[in-house]
Amino acid sequence: MPVADYLTAASVAVLAGLDRTAALQMMVSRPIVVAPLTGWLLGDPLTGLQAGALVELLWMGRLPVGAAIPPDDTQVAIGSTVLAITMGHLTGFAGSAFTILCILITLPLGKVGQLFDRWARHWNGRLLQRAQDAVAAGQFKKAEQSHLWGLGHFAAASLGTFVVIVAAGSLVLYHLAPLLIGPVRNAAPWLQVAFPVLGTSIILSSINVRRSMTLFGASFTTALLMLWLL
Amino acid sequence: MDRLKLPRSVLVRVLIRSFTLQASWNFERLQSLGVFYTLAPALRCLYRGEELELACRRHLEYFNTHPLLASPILGTILSLEEKRKRGEESYLGVQEFKGMVMAPYAAIGDALFWGAVRPLAAGVALFPAVRGTLWAPLVFLGLFNVPHLWFRVVGLFRGYFLELRVIENIQRRRLPDLAIRLKEGTVVLLGGLCAYMTFLCLRDEAVAVGWGLVVLPLVVLLGRLARRGVSTLLLVLVTSAILLISTHG
Repeated sequence: MPVADYLTAASVAVLAGLDRTAALQMMVSRPIVVAPLTGWLLGDPLTGLQAGALVELLWMGRLPVGAAIPPDDTQVAIGSTVLAITMGHLTGFAGSAFTILCILITLPLGKVGQLFDRWARHWNGRLLQRAQDAVAAGQFKKAEQSHLWGLGHFAAASLGTFVVIVAAGSLVLYHLAPLLIGPVRNAAPWLQVAFPVLGTSIILSSINVRRSMTLFGASFTTALLMLWLL
Repeated sequence: MDRLKLPRSVLVRVLIRSFTLQASWNFERLQSLGVFYTLAPALRCLYRGEELELACRRHLEYFNTHPLLASPILGTILSLEEKRKRGEESYLGVQEFKGMVMAPYAAIGDALFWGAVRPLAAGVALFPAVRGTLWAPLVFLGLFNVPHLWFRVVGLFRGYFLELRVIENIQRRRLPDLAIRLKEGTVVLLGGLCAYMTFLCLRDEAVAVGWGLVVLPLVVLLGRLARRGVSTLLLVLVTSAILLISTHG
């Protein structure tokens, strides 16, 4: 895979990382959008769609409320898509089982994103002091520019997370994929159900709706029966 | 004093800048620098010299609300700053207004956008995604961004023109109730999605569809574990390990 593809993926990682908190927040950073976009740019949108849908299902219920920083599902989605495509070429593995393996390996690395994000927010504290000093000195333009430096911090945090996920993920996959792909292939159909069931459980535990289990149970049972009868 | 109104070009600049409200989010004063940056074109238009410095200091104070519901607050702040410049009395000052509304708006925004609109949009988009349709991301972006952009754009102008009456305007929309309805819709959608994925798996593995009902107690069990603070990551890894071991060989 040419270096240009890694650079393309890194650019997506930075832009989506900015969309996540610092700018726009149009939700291009959500796994269901950013993973197919990365896959499309790398020539395999369906792998991206599968990775994005599974990661979205898992972390749909994690909310960025207040000062809480959730794991970086954006970079996990991009990273697992990049790994599924690049390492697929290198190791000769492909298909949904390999994509699931890539997700399982990148998921714990999402925690790294929390560290980088915390670092960016910590550094932004210095910008506040710089802006206050500039206002006191009557340099209002300089004070405004301080705010924009924060974009650089968030961009660097996203790039750092992406590099760690892709580098560590490539290393792990290169050594362990031949050992793990067999068991993952056997379990793949069940894992594809386990992810939405788990994601849904987490949402139901935090959604704060009365009778949410009753609603879910009724909807699930009705839909399953209808699919079975039809 | 002459009636002073901000030019529309300044309002548009404030609107554009509001999309970077959180660029300098920090643990000390959260969105304060973002509010200052967003309002700066209007402050420069209204004040000069020492007055400008005081206005800047006012908006470098602690501020935190939901980023998508910040627009009506920012719009009202602009109108209050205008009043202040004209020397008119208002029963709420700029600081009092910010302090009064930022926390309730944050709670409403979290429940509505993060807790309801986003999961609902994702729930709808996951159906085409599961079927391998590449329209899924566009469906998600469309469903989320129509209300998002409406609140951002219309919210800023409503805030500016309605001034303090914007609080009533938001109250009348009963957004917390709307959030609950949307959340209920999301739960129903997720029930359908889980049933569909379970059905596909059981059919492909030639297992009787009735076994799919096992999913219900599993959801209850996993939900209880999540509520007790067991991390999502741990639940994923343990569940995956159990499935890998039980299907191996």
